[in-house]
Amino acid sequence: MSGPGELTLTSIVLFTLGAYGIAAGAASGEQGVVAVGVFAFALFVLGIIWPIVMLSGVGMEAWAPADATVGEPHDVHVRLFGRVARVELRLLDPPGEWRVTASPANGIIPRVPARRGVFSGLRFELRTSAPLGVFVRSRVMHVVLPMDQAVAPRPLISAAPTEATPHRLYERLPDGAVAVTSTATPGLGDSVRSVRPYVAGDSARLVHWPTSARRGTLVVREHEPPGIVGVALVVDLDVTFDDAERIASRAAGIGRATLAAGGAVWCCTGEASGPVSARVVDQRDLGRRLARACAGPVGAPPSGWPVIVVTA
Amino acid sequence: MSPPASPTSERLWTRGSPWRVVAVPVTIALAAVGAIAASRVGVPLVFGALAGGTAALLGVFALPSLSTRRVVVVLLGLAGLGALRHASYSGSDTSPLLLCWAAATLVALLLVDRTGAEQVKPLALGAPLASRSGEVFRLSVTTAVIVAVAVVALGPTLTQHLGRHVWPGVDPSIGDIQSASTTLRNTDELDMTQRPHLSDRVVFTVTAPRPEFWRGETFDLWNGHAWTQSGPPATSVPHVGDTSVIRPEADDVGAFTGPPMRQTFHLESGFSDVIFAAPSPVSVEADRLVQQRDDGTASVVEGFGTGATYTVTSRSILSTESSLRAADARPVPASVRRQFAQEPTTTPRVRKLARDITASAPTTYDKIRALEAWMGAHVRYSIDAPIAPRGVDVVDDFLFRSRLGWCEQVASSLVVMARSVGIPARLATGFVPGTRDALTGQFTVRERDAHAWAEIYFPGVGWQPFDPTASVPLAGDTSTNVSWLETARNHAVEFGLIALALVLAVVAAPDVIAWARRRRARRRSSWAARRLARLERIGRRAGRARAPSETPREYADALAVHLHDARLRTVGETLDADGFSLVGAPPSARADADAVLSSL
Repeated sequence: MSGPGELTLTSIVLFTLGAYGIAAGAASGEQGVVAVGVFAFALFVLGIIWPIVMLSGVGMEAWAPADATVGEPHDVHVRLFGRVARVELRLLDPPGEWRVTASPANGIIPRVPARRGVFSGLRFELRTSAPLGVFVRSRVMHVVLPMDQAVAPRPLISAAPTEATPHRLYERLPDGAVAVTSTATPGLGDSVRSVRPYVAGDSARLVHWPTSARRGTLVVREHEPPGIVGVALVVDLDVTFDDAERIASRAAGIGRATLAAGGAVWCCTGEASGPVSARVVDQRDLGRRLARACAGPVGAPPSGWPVIVVTA
Repeated sequence: MSPPASPTSERLWTRGSPWRVVAVPVTIALAAVGAIAASRVGVPLVFGALAGGTAALLGVFALPSLSTRRVVVVLLGLAGLGALRHASYSGSDTSPLLLCWAAATLVALLLVDRTGAEQVKPLALGAPLASRSGEVFRLSVTTAVIVAVAVVALGPTLTQHLGRHVWPGVDPSIGDIQSASTTLRNTDELDMTQRPHLSDRVVFTVTAPRPEFWRGETFDLWNGHAWTQSGPPATSVPHVGDTSVIRPEADDVGAFTGPPMRQTFHLESGFSDVIFAAPSPVSVEADRLVQQRDDGTASVVEGFGTGATYTVTSRSILSTESSLRAADARPVPASVRRQFAQEPTTTPRVRKLARDITASAPTTYDKIRALEAWMGAHVRYSIDAPIAPRGVDVVDDFLFRSRLGWCEQVASSLVVMARSVGIPARLATGFVPGTRDALTGQFTVRERDAHAWAEIYFPGVGWQPFDPTASVPLAGDTSTNVSWLETARNHAVEFGLIALALVLAVVAAPDVIAWARRRRARRRSSWAARRLARLERIGRRAGRARAPSETPREYADALAVHLHDARLRTVGETLDADGFSLVGAPPSARADADAVLSSL
């Protein structure tokens, strides 16, 4: 894919001199005037052809991390092929800052993703006006990445769901409507599972005195591990574009906070392949799930999980 | 290219700013144009150069609110307009200044673009740009060669095929008329007792298919010290549009039967009312009223000025020695014999000398050759020859006393001696063909090319030019007095090609040395290293270069996938085995790998 480029003020000056010189010189037979005109016109033509030829021989490869987040910068490694004394390049989507280099070259361009999604390639714009600055030849190249890049939504700062969170079970009715049907309570983590002999370092508060008295040795209580603080996120993006991105960002914020607090996250989304309902392993997994999420029927949440229907 | 921020004079003043460097060629370009303009109006060149240079510096440095890039481009455009304006009618004197302007403009454009690129942030870890001076030098040479080829290829084509063959030029001033040399003025008399003042100034350029004597006038009456014309005064020639038909002399056979030759004259001198042409003109295209004499020469009523262009079509028979010898079989027309073969005014010993020299020559042609040969052996050419005293026959004085003279004495002696033995002859004046420009194909004629020669009449052929001066050696020192500047000018193309070859050699030297080193290193390297290099070349051609982190085996595996050729995996294994095992790869494996690589 390539664009045409643009003429500069220099090109206008050279073209005017060239056209006037050739016309006046040819009319008067003045070799000197013709020479000056041809000189200017040759520079004009050369200044257009040179960048076109140079840029047509440039090839490109790029590597970007498989996971990225909207608004968080990451490096894109690029490799330029073909010999060009001077070429400027920048990333598009969103347009980044121009960088100049000679080609062939390897280099790094910082990128701040602006859009959530899964991307198989990146768009670069290359340009050069070398050597005369007559014509700025630009070219847009779509470079396929070795592996897709999943760009997660920018997480909105959210608190992890607690007991006070109104847990609601989510149900998709046969007619497609969504309804909240019940609530659930997770484990608290303070019930006694068994007792064991005291070892140095055990808190005195854990000593189970009745059993210690009965056995004649110190015995301490062992508690059940705390119950999982889990949440099932229902991320339905079948809304307007802006709302969809806001929902995704909010889901990312809730999910991250939950995971950071040691909780579990179940994510119900709709993807291009159909509805998906699965537990996310970590923040990266959450990001990928939300990157792939799109409008469409979402997966059903698991029974017994507190459900949050994320809204805009 | 638009840099992120518009470069202004604020940046210009920053220490180390590349825009300061740009100011240098811009100043040179404007100074060159200023000098050209000064030469046009007769002011010392240095004043023009100073004015141009100062204007450039003021423009670049003193306009803080404007983008330096734009100011530079506008200044270069103005300089270009100045070059166009003053490239007309400037002759070759300003060519070095025009070249200087062109080179400075080219370098300025390169520097402006380079400077713009330097304002952009470099790619992190990317390849650095070539050094500014190196890049500008290399690109200047390359661009100059391409542009020079374009100028050489297109210039003559444009002027010859697209150009008009008639152009009025500038009206001559009184000063131009008064300062014009006698050769450029239509006169009735050629005084042999005056020494010509010849300079290197370009008189005119001629676009013609072959070199010829550019004849202006002929003279047929000799009185011992001056030539005059016996015919009636010139009469106006009827014209259709710009074309005037010249009526040739009735007995000038070549003017009726010879092949036509078209010549376009472009006047560089300030004035001329003589229409120069290869003999014998049959039509003239000019924007002035043309008049002609009975001898077939033409002139214009109001003289031409600088830049005037006119085109002449001439006809003459291209003769050979045999055709001229055979011409004696036909009788000379009575009118020609009466006007051009009458007994000349000269001394008896000149007549006797002519008879003695030609006594054994059987034909007219041989007689003329004998006279030329005698003069070649007995007289010498010198522009500083003494002027014959008043009252003394100039030809006699030249042949018997001084034996030193310039073209007028030499040619006059031939005409007088030819007439002494009954051969119809006359004196012609004009210019020799001049220097042919190898680039443009034009003949450049200077004041010092002014010449006089003899024209001899041959029945059935017409008037044929003979140049006895060519047979006459230079007087005194045989070394030429050509200055180094003139030598350089005459051999500009050769010098230019040599300089270009040297520049290319210098530019290409690093690459050639690097290539030779690589080649030598390849020869010294191991089998595995050579084959790996070959594999890398194959990969590069296929668009899959080897990453620095890839081992040969990994690279071969990747190429096997990329090129859909599983044999490359074996090549990778062999390269690994050969490079890293003590015994190396077995010969059969090497041969297999060679076969695979050769097949790719």
